[in-house]
Amino acid sequence: MMTEPHIQPAVEIAQLHHRYGADPVLRGLDLILQPGEIYALMGGNGAGKSTTLAALLGFISPESGTVQVCGIDPVADPRAARAQMAYVPENVSLYEHLTARENISYFLALSDSRRGSDAIEAALTDVGLASSAWDKRLSGFSKGMRQKVAIALALARDVPVLLLDEPTSGLDPRAVLEFNRLLDSARKRRVAVLMVTHDLVSAVDIADRIGFLIAGRIEEEREAQASGSRFDLNALHDRYTHAERAA
Amino acid sequence: MSAATLIAREEWRLLARNRAGLLATALLVLLVLVASFTSLERRSAIEADRERYQASTDHDFDAQPDRHPHRMVHYGQFVFRPVAPLAFFDAGVDSFTGNTIFLEGHRQNSANFAEARQSSLLLRFGQLTPAFVLQTLAPLLLIFLGFASVAREKERSTLRLMLAQGISGKSLLFGKFLGQGVLALLIGLPAFTVLVVFAATGSTGWGTVALMIAAYSAWLLLWAFLSVLVSALAQKPRDALAVLIGLWMVIVILLPRALPQAASAQTELATKIESEIALHRDLLEIGDSHDPEDPYFNDFRDKVLAQYGVDTVEDLPVDYTGLVSIEGEKLTTAIHADSAQRQAALETEQNAFVHRFSVLSPLIAIRQLSMALAGSDPTAHLDFLDQAEAFRYDFVQQLNRMQADLLPEVEGDDPRISAENWKEIPRFSYQSSDRLDRSDRLVWPFAVLLGWLAVIAVAAPFAARRIGRMGQ
Repeated sequence: MMTEPHIQPAVEIAQLHHRYGADPVLRGLDLILQPGEIYALMGGNGAGKSTTLAALLGFISPESGTVQVCGIDPVADPRAARAQMAYVPENVSLYEHLTARENISYFLALSDSRRGSDAIEAALTDVGLASSAWDKRLSGFSKGMRQKVAIALALARDVPVLLLDEPTSGLDPRAVLEFNRLLDSARKRRVAVLMVTHDLVSAVDIADRIGFLIAGRIEEEREAQASGSRFDLNALHDRYTHAERAA
Repeated sequence: MSAATLIAREEWRLLARNRAGLLATALLVLLVLVASFTSLERRSAIEADRERYQASTDHDFDAQPDRHPHRMVHYGQFVFRPVAPLAFFDAGVDSFTGNTIFLEGHRQNSANFAEARQSSLLLRFGQLTPAFVLQTLAPLLLIFLGFASVAREKERSTLRLMLAQGISGKSLLFGKFLGQGVLALLIGLPAFTVLVVFAATGSTGWGTVALMIAAYSAWLLLWAFLSVLVSALAQKPRDALAVLIGLWMVIVILLPRALPQAASAQTELATKIESEIALHRDLLEIGDSHDPEDPYFNDFRDKVLAQYGVDTVEDLPVDYTGLVSIEGEKLTTAIHADSAQRQAALETEQNAFVHRFSVLSPLIAIRQLSMALAGSDPTAHLDFLDQAEAFRYDFVQQLNRMQADLLPEVEGDDPRISAENWKEIPRFSYQSSDRLDRSDRLVWPFAVLLGWLAVIAVAAPFAARRIGRMGQ
């Protein structure tokens, strides 16, 4: 009998516990994300979404449990783990005195990426930032334009895992559609995407799975249907409202 | 290009786009250049004045007519201390100590005519020299350029994004050190260029200039690195700025003034009047060389008569009053020297106290280094006083010897010797100390500066670890 070859998960979190001082934030979080999968992590304020991302990036040392990104423990070897991930923060923080192109070029160089100006221009084109804005300083950019630059940076990194913190915040509906198309194209390239979001509509549109994080662990998970409507939006909305109230 | 080099380059790019920073840097550079040229000009003018006065007083001395040698002992000589070549860079205590001494018999006069007493009141607040700009103002500029270097990244959350790209806290901190360190050396560059040009013209030794550049490089790097370190440990740029300004006030303003006060309280010096009274008392104890009935000099007369095998002073082949003057000068000089030595020992104790505590204020260390290398420190001044005193003693004793030997050949009620004799009296020529003589004054302050840099190096890994954890 033939056995399926073992595929290493892109992200693997098992029984993760973490507390800030006396306050527990994560209480036995389990999450596995396969290559080419888009996972939307939803939850109310203080549910532990940002702490989950911090654990994946190796910014915190969890109390117990394990975290692996492409088989690398980010606490033991944060540099190697971060080389596998691109991260888009909620409040995009780039350099105001640099242009869009200069920002991407600088952060790419910091990540030791060998990708050149062609990759930067392709990423800027993919996120739909007008080429006339590429060489303008960020000080004159709207929140949505900054978001696009940050996403372009993440795409230009060309890494197997994307961590997105409220990626559609500040984007207009058309830009959200474009963004979802980008994520779909990343999925086809076997990139695993973990996005923390409050945007249920966008999540329903693009995610393969949606998890509800309540009080430090995933209480419920829904998987996209192969045919027909991918998710039951009304049911999700009720669940999400409940999760928000629980928080 | 390494992450550290990239971060350093970004610091420079940020400065290049920061008009206020550029303006402040340009002003400081301009100030260093203006200070260098005005200070050089002032040094040349003072040097020319002193040379002219010295030539004039020498000429007047040589032009004295035939006189009794003892009249010449009291006519005396003015000697002028030449300005050390690098005193234009750091005037040190030169402006406040006298640079002219009137040398005469029986007395040790103090140096007079300090520049600060002859110039406008503004000079009393410190001359505008490159050393003043580098010691006092450059640290402020380096604080201004560096206080936000890391704290800014934290406040704007760019730190989180940087760390997410895979760089370590160590690389980030090293990059900031590199960026601010190069800026610090660039700020010092105009002053260093002036020093190199000065050495190239042969006005001073290359070794001294190299040590001066090394000392100021360490001083400027210290402030650049301190700014980055505090910025790395602070949560917000304004917190870092407050801490750094506080440190500047303590290190540059408070301690250099408080420590000498503490030293004065610990080792009290006699006032000038107290010293004069004590000296006068000591002089009275040995007697008066001008009093023929003085017991000490009566005893001395008996010894002289026995030495020459005669019964009366009139039978002596030499002028007895000349011999009395030689003996009297020997005695009074010993008492003056003893008093000066006691005073110098107390001053040395005070200085040692201040220098011991210079570990708390590296400004004291750089100031001591700078003045010692420029030849304008208190030790150089004391060296001038010592050389002037040694010259005075020889000059007075030479005239006394002329009186003893030549006067018996002169007849009449108003005996005088030829004016030609005055030309045999040597002229004072100050020999500046060799650089090697300064080594004992250079080691401790250099150690203090390097010690501060070492403490920053020890604290850096701790700060780097803190930065690495700041992504959360």
